[in-house]
Amino acid sequence: MSNYFYVSPEQLIKDRAEFAQKGIARGRSIVAAIYDNGVVLVAENPSASLNKISEVYDRIAFAGVGKYNEFDRLREAGIRWADSTGYTYSREDVDARALANYYAQHLGDMFTEGQKPLEVEILVAQLGNKLRPTKLYRVAYEGTISDEPRFAVLGGDAETIKDRFALSEDSLQSLTVTLQNASRALSGPDRVIPAEELEVGILEDRGNRRTFLRLSDEQVKELLS
Amino acid sequence: MGLPLFSAHGDPGPSFWHYADTVGLAPLAAVLHDEAPHATTVIAVRYDQGVVMVGDRQATGNYIASRDVRKIEPADRYTALAISGSAARGMELLKIAQLSFEHYEKMTDSALSLEGKANYLSPIIQRNNLSSPLLVLPLLAGWDESHLVGRIFEYDGAGGCYERFDFATIGSGSPFAEGALRLGFRSDLDREAALELGALALYEAGDNDPSTGGPDFVRNIFPMMITVSAEGFQEIAGPEVGGRFRLINERRTESRGVAGGSLR
Repeated sequence: MSNYFYVSPEQLIKDRAEFAQKGIARGRSIVAAIYDNGVVLVAENPSASLNKISEVYDRIAFAGVGKYNEFDRLREAGIRWADSTGYTYSREDVDARALANYYAQHLGDMFTEGQKPLEVEILVAQLGNKLRPTKLYRVAYEGTISDEPRFAVLGGDAETIKDRFALSEDSLQSLTVTLQNASRALSGPDRVIPAEELEVGILEDRGNRRTFLRLSDEQVKELLS
Repeated sequence: MGLPLFSAHGDPGPSFWHYADTVGLAPLAAVLHDEAPHATTVIAVRYDQGVVMVGDRQATGNYIASRDVRKIEPADRYTALAISGSAARGMELLKIAQLSFEHYEKMTDSALSLEGKANYLSPIIQRNNLSSPLLVLPLLAGWDESHLVGRIFEYDGAGGCYERFDFATIGSGSPFAEGALRLGFRSDLDREAALELGALALYEAGDNDPSTGGPDFVRNIFPMMITVSAEGFQEIAGPEVGGRFRLINERRTESRGVAGGSLR
């Protein structure tokens, strides 16, 4: 016979939150920001193939921090959801808010009912047009969803990076300036992150249906110089 | 529909069609029993820097249902897909192909190879054609980015996929187009010569097959002409296409309808 000990709900939630936070803090952070012509997502990522930033739909991008296998599964689910919604209805009907809500519900369920909470934090970015506004939705490990007005920081070091980025930003800037600020905010004053270790994706209208573009190392280097 | 999450062993992978099948979206499977507009001629010709495709614009049922149908569409930047057979099923196949290639690219962060795209369509065509009287037969042509050549893939009714190294035709006007292509094709065609041959072959099909729409000088509606090369899918502008067909028509008028000889 095994013994069951009583654990108060407060303690359980606290333990689970601590567990998830610890997992997320191990990874590096991501900054997403709105610039004068679109949205830029910047991740510190030494790997050139294990991506943290991804295209989801014509005007929607995804970013995730924490455990790779966990946020990558969410990324795939997001692409499937978006493609099948657009297939069933119309491409116009695919909305980032709906996707962010599904993510929030799933993360919330896993936090309270799962074997363990997911050690991830994700961002759903939407480039606006005449139908919808430009949006950054941040979804935390326990399912809290927040609508970030100008920029969002994900990851363990979020508060510090947020302060550094907020200081350097007062109105909507160009892509170059925004990327430089994001890079400086991610690195802090004591180091410089080489362009090869920055993963950068943008959502920008370039006359194509698909607005997502992954910037190459050369493009990032040029924008940072 | 909620968030489509799968366990590792039940995951349908980056294939949209397999995913749609898993969750019961199941495109191209149900059987309908009315005859939809069909009949077509689409031609693909390989040239030294890519492929040319020419397709007529007419949808035919018991009467002409439409005169300005687009039967060739870009499946992605480097792939053109043409349809013949049931219009409804053809449009559905186009939609599935476009969606699937993009889906794969987003899921894996890399594009499918041209051969991969051609093979992907095989079981979809097979499933449709063996379960429904509304047959659909596509023609896929594109620029192979890894081998730097234009390539053409045709299908049989059961979904078999075959690469053609010269030219291919689909639709009811095929025998007439094929005749012109067999006489005019050379392995060293350049873009201009391939466009000229493609236009002539389509003219022949329109002339002989009642279900293929030739150039319509009254309404100014002309067959679609496109190329796929290293520059991607490019549609030839209406006035240029009109000019090509006007030229063929003038020669044919001069020869009093005789197709052979110097006025060909």
